[in-house]
Amino acid sequence: MDILIYGTINSVALALYALGFAMVYGVSRLPNFAHGALYVLSGFITWSLLNSLGLPYAVAIVLTLLLTGIIGALIYQLILIRIRGMEISEIMASYAIGLAILEGLRWGGFKGMTYTLPSFIEGSTTIAGIVVDYQRLLVVVIGAAVVGLLWLFTHYTRTGLALRGMAQDERAALMLGIDSDLMAVVAMGFGSMLAALAAVVLLPLGNIVVEAGYNVLILAIAVCIIGGLGSWMGSVIAAFLIGFAQILTVVYLGAHYQMVVALLAIIMTLILKPSGLFGRQKELEERV
Amino acid sequence: MNRRRFTVSIVLVVAAVIMVLAPAAQAADSIVLGCPLSTAFLYGWTAERGFRLAVDEINAAGGVSVGGEKRPFAVEVIDTRDLEPGVPVSEALLAVEKLILDKKADFILGGPVRSEAALAAMPLLSKYKKVSIVTTGVLTPKYSAQVAANYDKFKYCFRIHGEAKHLVGEMFANFGKLKKKYGFNNLFIIAQDVSHARGAAAVMEKVATKSGWNVTGVEIYPTGATDFSMGLIKAQKSDTEIINIWMDMPESAILLKQWYDMKLAALPFGSTLAAAEQPGFWKATDGKGEFTLCNVVNAGNAPSEATEWTMKFYNAYADKWGVAPEGLGASSSYMAVYVLRDAIERAGSLDPDKIVAELEKTDVMGVYGRLRFDPKSHQVIPATDPKEGAVGSILQWQDGKRVVVYPESIATGEILLPPWMKQ
Amino acid sequence: MTEGMEQRRKERVDRGIKVRTDSLYALLSAGEIAYLALPRLVLILGLLLLPLVVPGMYWQRVITITCIYGLLAVSFDFLAHYVGLVSLGGAFFVGTGGYLAAIANTQMGLSPWLTVPSAALAGGVLCTLLLLPCLPLRGVYFAIISLMYPLFSARVIEALDILGGTDGIMGIDGFPNRIVEQYAPVVLLLLILFGLRRLVTTDFGLVVRGVKDNDQAIRASGINVTYFKAVAVFVSASMGCLGGACLVHIYMWSGISQFALDFSILPIAATVIGGSGTLVGPVLGCLILVPISEMLREFGTLRIVFYALILVAFIIFKSEGLMVWGRRKYHQFERWTRI
Repeated sequence: MDILIYGTINSVALALYALGFAMVYGVSRLPNFAHGALYVLSGFITWSLLNSLGLPYAVAIVLTLLLTGIIGALIYQLILIRIRGMEISEIMASYAIGLAILEGLRWGGFKGMTYTLPSFIEGSTTIAGIVVDYQRLLVVVIGAAVVGLLWLFTHYTRTGLALRGMAQDERAALMLGIDSDLMAVVAMGFGSMLAALAAVVLLPLGNIVVEAGYNVLILAIAVCIIGGLGSWMGSVIAAFLIGFAQILTVVYLGAHYQMVVALLAIIMTLILKPSGLFGRQKELEERV
Repeated sequence: MNRRRFTVSIVLVVAAVIMVLAPAAQAADSIVLGCPLSTAFLYGWTAERGFRLAVDEINAAGGVSVGGEKRPFAVEVIDTRDLEPGVPVSEALLAVEKLILDKKADFILGGPVRSEAALAAMPLLSKYKKVSIVTTGVLTPKYSAQVAANYDKFKYCFRIHGEAKHLVGEMFANFGKLKKKYGFNNLFIIAQDVSHARGAAAVMEKVATKSGWNVTGVEIYPTGATDFSMGLIKAQKSDTEIINIWMDMPESAILLKQWYDMKLAALPFGSTLAAAEQPGFWKATDGKGEFTLCNVVNAGNAPSEATEWTMKFYNAYADKWGVAPEGLGASSSYMAVYVLRDAIERAGSLDPDKIVAELEKTDVMGVYGRLRFDPKSHQVIPATDPKEGAVGSILQWQDGKRVVVYPESIATGEILLPPWMKQ
Repeated sequence: MTEGMEQRRKERVDRGIKVRTDSLYALLSAGEIAYLALPRLVLILGLLLLPLVVPGMYWQRVITITCIYGLLAVSFDFLAHYVGLVSLGGAFFVGTGGYLAAIANTQMGLSPWLTVPSAALAGGVLCTLLLLPCLPLRGVYFAIISLMYPLFSARVIEALDILGGTDGIMGIDGFPNRIVEQYAPVVLLLLILFGLRRLVTTDFGLVVRGVKDNDQAIRASGINVTYFKAVAVFVSASMGCLGGACLVHIYMWSGISQFALDFSILPIAATVIGGSGTLVGPVLGCLILVPISEMLREFGTLRIVFYALILVAFIIFKSEGLMVWGRRKYHQFERWTRI
């Protein structure tokens, strides 16, 4: 039972880390290596709004989501759009931007371990004999809501459908009059907002530190690869696979094999089925 | 247009580089203390602040007299980034070489901070014959073991703060007390997957099992892990009464907060638990950090009356930096400068071999007790009484304050149990 | 366009001397030979003399490190732009080479003269074997899996506590003297650089480049694509291992941080700045990036910010790289022509 509960929580957390990355890659084929940096940045934005401007928590969160979305869109519109399609340059540029953001934050005084966000609801409850705090339960609720809303958004709104069209076949989308550059910017904005959402939901569990940026990036990439690059629902399922695998490793094998297991899973997935467990098979694109 | 912008940016970069290259004007006769520190991290900046405080005090008093001549100290801090993931240790080594070769450092104080990097720097120090006093973060017993095993080669390396073995001993003494007082018998160990923490966890497990404790589990989490639920649940299920934590990674805050939210009936007893050392910990956790115990390695890093000097240092630090000494590295770095000054004055020169000989004769009442180096391993000699040797300091967060609970000779309070643990 | 303003465009024309030196006639005059030899001599003599002119031992050490990064960058450039395998795992080669050299030196007592070449060869073979299952992968898939290899290796050493665990291996011999230590990486880099430039114009190079452009066509010609890829990976991995082995002997220490991400990222950055696909460009990029990174050290953490911004600026505004740009200026002139 404890495995089930905490496995789910861990999995939803992973899914939240990964969704933004998966969305950006799915729509514009941009491996956004600044994803982790945006995650940390939005944490510090919320902190500043809360503590320096003294805004109410809810307002601060909404503002953070908007701000991070705008920042992400601007990064794309001003910088990354110029190197679209050049994979190595995209990776290098976005990684460098992420590095600049993270180290800039650190230089700006956001170092140490004393920056935290308050929990939404304090306290804890008992489910089937297992103590779970409300914040962790909220993570699951919000994660499920995000996945649901994302599904509705991409199936029933014009923008969402346009994004999906881009993801499936950019040329056909262009022919149908979808502005692919605009959509890529929108996707990056949404992706950044998802990163920010993950941050405000998950950061109250611990503290806001710059180093988390690198870990979040690696976890997001791991989930997206196993789920299949570009497949959103695939990443959600992969998040559950990795999440439970991690928890089970701790229970039966020992915590220090956690990372080994995760990385081994990635390598095996890539060798055996490069486009991921749920990615669309494109034999010719992925291997000789 | 693009081209012009490009040219402009190049010009800016070149200008910046020239600015940097222009050598900082320095008093010609100052003694340069090179400090390779990971400045973005707690153990890095506490050390830097400790050094600067001591150097300012010494320089204000006229400096160091070397063979009848008064010379001031100068501090050269360099960022090694060695506590960051993804940065190779060779980067830290290059920083050490920069201090020695480019900044003409006469002594190396402080780091590199990560145990691995400090071990890797030892051959370099002996290659350039630079006397070095490690003052922060390097907890691996291997450091002094290397000196003892290969004295002629590594005799330039000293360490002035406690190492993992001492920490185990200090904490274990407390476990014994708790056992006697409350009948505790179950111990759960959580460690981070780095050299010193793993080593310490292994030692702790052995020592505890030998003296009749029931070790209910040892979990070693990789650096950067974000989910500790299963470890905590294991501890809960096995009726653990003490959770021994060996982590300096920031994610340990997740662990502590979850401990509170789960109302786990076990005392979180940490060592070098960087997250809990800082005075800001209480506010950062909204008080969820209450009852957390933490070994800050040396007295003076938390308020106590170990010696006459302790509170003097504590207040001077707080005055200068606007925050009380924040954890490991503050008092030890401060003392390293004084110990070095005394050795230089006794030796009357900067000759490394003479300084080594004089450092070995060090015997001074410092911020955290009587400081002497073991002549074989160059490790500062630990004790539980400040009159005998360097004392450690274990603090517990009680009602928003850091209360020193060990060793008894300097303690200002008793270990308290959380209300949900009262029997 | 308004009236009176004529429309013009820029036109690039090869210099006469460039055309003349393209063939055997180059040997007929001193001027032409000099034109051909100048860039090469500048590079060779420049690298050889650099350690003598820089101020102080510290900067000499920086040059050594630069050359090691240069090896990695050339290795990346070769694999990415001649074979079509974009490897984000340069650190894997460094780590493998470093650990092999460390083991050969501490366990078997071999001298650095033997450990460095043997680590390069054995490391090349080992890396090729380990990467063999991934060779059929293309594009971003190969990139990401190669990124995972060094991370995985470091975690395995950490979790299993083998090869010295997180402490690393100590007590490795240094190079016998300073001159060897200073010049071994420089000379090796030059030899490999010019060797590779030869290699890519041979038949082997032709096939490999064909694999990059259209692997299906190569396969249809009855050529074993995987074999050629494997050989190319061996060449590239050996260079990385060589760099790692030199590094280990310079610092007399090896540990899991040899697998650090920086060893993968910095060479790529250098390649982007220097000019992809030129082989010399990456070396140039290292000669710029590594010293800049050292100079910026004074700024503490701000250094990385500057560094990253410079990189972004280059990628956006000068994506062809310095070498391509320089080569164009050297061989061609530009003029305005009326349309």
